Amino acid sequence: MPTRVETLDNGLKVILRPIPDAKALSTWVTYRIGSRNEVPGMTGSTHWVEHMLFKGGGKLKKGDIDRLVSRLGGKMNAFTDTDFTTYFETIPASAMDTALLIESERMRNAAFDPREVEAERTVVISEREGAENQPEFLVEEELWGLAFHVHPYHWTPIGYKQDLARFERDPLYRHYLRYYAPNNAFLVMVGGFDLAVAMQHIREAFAPLKPEPAPEPMPLVEPEQRGERRSDLRRPGSADLLAIGWHVPPFVHEDTPALIVLSTILGGWRGFTPFAAGEWRSRSNRLYRALVETKLATDTTVRQELKVDPALLIANATLAPKASLDAVEAVVDREVERLRKTAPAKSELDRAKRQVRTWFRYENDGVTYQGMMMTVMEALSSWDAADGVLARVEKVKPEEIRRAAARHLVDDRRSVVRFHAQEASA
Amino acid sequence: MSLPDRTVLGNGAVLVSIALPSNPFLAFRGSVPAGVAAEGEDRGVAEFTSRLLLGGTRRTSAAKLADRLEGIGSTLEFHASEEVLTFQGRCTRETAAETVRLLVECLGRPAFPAKEVERVRGEILNDLRIEADDTRHRAMRALAEAVFPKGHPYGRDPKADPGRVRRISRRDLVAFHEAHVGPEGLIFAVTGDIDRDLIERSIAAPLSRLKGDGHGPVEIPPPGTHRPRTVRIPMPHKSQADIAIGTQAVSRLHQDYYAVNLANLLLGRIGLFGRLGKNLRDDQGLAYYAFSSLDTRTAGGLWSAAAGVNPANIVRAVRGIREELDRLRTDPFSADELANGRDNQVGSLVVSLERNAEVAGELHRLEYYGLGMDFLERYADLVRSLSDDAVRGAARRSFDPEACSLVIAGPVGKTRVSL
Repeated sequence: MPTRVETLDNGLKVILRPIPDAKALSTWVTYRIGSRNEVPGMTGSTHWVEHMLFKGGGKLKKGDIDRLVSRLGGKMNAFTDTDFTTYFETIPASAMDTALLIESERMRNAAFDPREVEAERTVVISEREGAENQPEFLVEEELWGLAFHVHPYHWTPIGYKQDLARFERDPLYRHYLRYYAPNNAFLVMVGGFDLAVAMQHIREAFAPLKPEPAPEPMPLVEPEQRGERRSDLRRPGSADLLAIGWHVPPFVHEDTPALIVLSTILGGWRGFTPFAAGEWRSRSNRLYRALVETKLATDTTVRQELKVDPALLIANATLAPKASLDAVEAVVDREVERLRKTAPAKSELDRAKRQVRTWFRYENDGVTYQGMMMTVMEALSSWDAADGVLARVEKVKPEEIRRAAARHLVDDRRSVVRFHAQEASA
Repeated sequence: MSLPDRTVLGNGAVLVSIALPSNPFLAFRGSVPAGVAAEGEDRGVAEFTSRLLLGGTRRTSAAKLADRLEGIGSTLEFHASEEVLTFQGRCTRETAAETVRLLVECLGRPAFPAKEVERVRGEILNDLRIEADDTRHRAMRALAEAVFPKGHPYGRDPKADPGRVRRISRRDLVAFHEAHVGPEGLIFAVTGDIDRDLIERSIAAPLSRLKGDGHGPVEIPPPGTHRPRTVRIPMPHKSQADIAIGTQAVSRLHQDYYAVNLANLLLGRIGLFGRLGKNLRDDQGLAYYAFSSLDTRTAGGLWSAAAGVNPANIVRAVRGIREELDRLRTDPFSADELANGRDNQVGSLVVSLERNAEVAGELHRLEYYGLGMDFLERYADLVRSLSDDAVRGAARRSFDPEACSLVIAGPVGKTRVSL
């Protein structure tokens, strides 16, 4: 689809995709700041900043963002990732200026009223405590903590509770000022608008905003893992859980297409971006066959974390009541060994490629998801990077899958978390 | 958007469609009247059956079904709900005929192989264990059980209890399927990259081949009286407590539905969760989520308010919700709030129908509740015609704290609180 890309003088990159008949438009403004830019003691600050940016400032009073979008029947939200933070509004196409007003004020003029910062402290702690109620969150946090000792992927974007409890307003505000600038951001707009009109309105809203000195590149590199790492969690819970994470290269690496097909063969594909798949689960993958069909597990997933820096390919399993963690882990080991030793059959490879290809269509359902896809891709590499990856996926050969498995699914570079569900005391 | 097309097939199935070719794939959603309401005393069979429809047919094993569907990049899911067994999926123009053919095979000729029956039994038992450890699930389930009389399909767990799940036999499932799954009462709603020829050739033709003796929709009795109560579910190992407050609500077809729906929007949904969100999250900083929900069905509904809070804040949160319910009398919705709400509902029609999957869901709702194919055109007038007093009155009547049950699940300690 025709897409126009332009960079304003202040460094804001603008990516516009008009869809002539669309009655809605979706505006996404994304900052290249995530939990990977945090340091110990201030974990969770990027996510906290995200919360503060719904509380007005500049031309917008507290509650105005909410009111402006609600009155239009629009939807809005924000996400803090390890690598980026993004804000979006999907609204009727006639209301483009509302989104531009909200996002241009949000970029430099957020209020950070000390009373509001304090009120939000308990909200973000509540968000974390809600996550702690889920054993899957505890396993995920443990896995990243185990796999990364140096790189900030060590912690998750929600941060540690002790940091959230003591972090203060001024450093939070400095964090905002430092990273929320047009030259550290990009804007994606998809939907029913005229290209020239949109560009003019975007210039009017954002061109006056001053850039900041470019942020220093995040210098931390995770040293190569030499030796398997393991952790056993014993907590009250209802089902044993297994998570295995292997270090894999960043999204831009040449092995990414092969790893996407590999993870599809092993555990099914659910798209490049979160949310689009909903509750749908693949049933034609190897781990489903080996674990769920054999009643060792009731659920299994594999996901390749597509990140700016080297990340993880993660296999998860929820164990059936009488299954043992040893038995399930042995099955995963067996399946991974098969991938390392034998190239998959062409029919299996073709099925995996087709899944990835058709999911890309499903993931572009509507202006919001298209905006999300372009945003995630631009944050990782380039707004149209998925097209290139898909083209390379089509060319992946069976032997490349075997080589990728042998190169990346290495026992010495994996981390294993086993959650042993304990009976809860009454 | 033009009006949806509605066709009744020769076998009784209803096909509703609208073309939206800018999204280059098809999304569909449908249902058969084989939900919890159809179970009678055979608790749990609707859920069990829905999970087995991808478990193999008389012609195709579970593994081959998965290979075929995923080999053409299609998705297909079945879920049981209180009133119907739903299905949904995605495919392309090129794969539509094969996807619908497989759907019809799954619906019409499931084999219920013993191995799959046992696998699904284990899966449901594990899900019950997992849900028993989930504060939010426990709170909402206990609320539904408190609000609806024992045995009513709106109140009982679709999965039943572990003892019952262990006793369900293959014969029970076959009997339930034969009695309730067929073309009678089937709705198939589809949108996306479609045209008349594709509908007839790739969708209507395979759907018309579905046979079965399903009895069609069952009459669901209106739920009896709700006697409010307070339920504490101690889960000391959790970090956060979930609070659920609720009562019975009007049905989807009740004359007050639109007024109650707007009132609920203003109380606990609009923006960052309406008045409830402003009080509990924005002003007091007590909760990441605090919202209300209106879940209406053909014979009644459930209205609820929910919040997740630190155990030290349970009392403050319950009082905060109570304050907001009392305010509906002392400080009713202002004209400005109501205008915002109406604008939101009218505007959201554009935004909420931007995806094929959402449009398919809406088409299905139009047919299921008999709202008429022109409903989306009439919707704005329906909302705009609501008087301020009608919405305020509906809020007072429908969200009466004295008529609500209260459930708290989590590390409740010695906390004692009533609404």
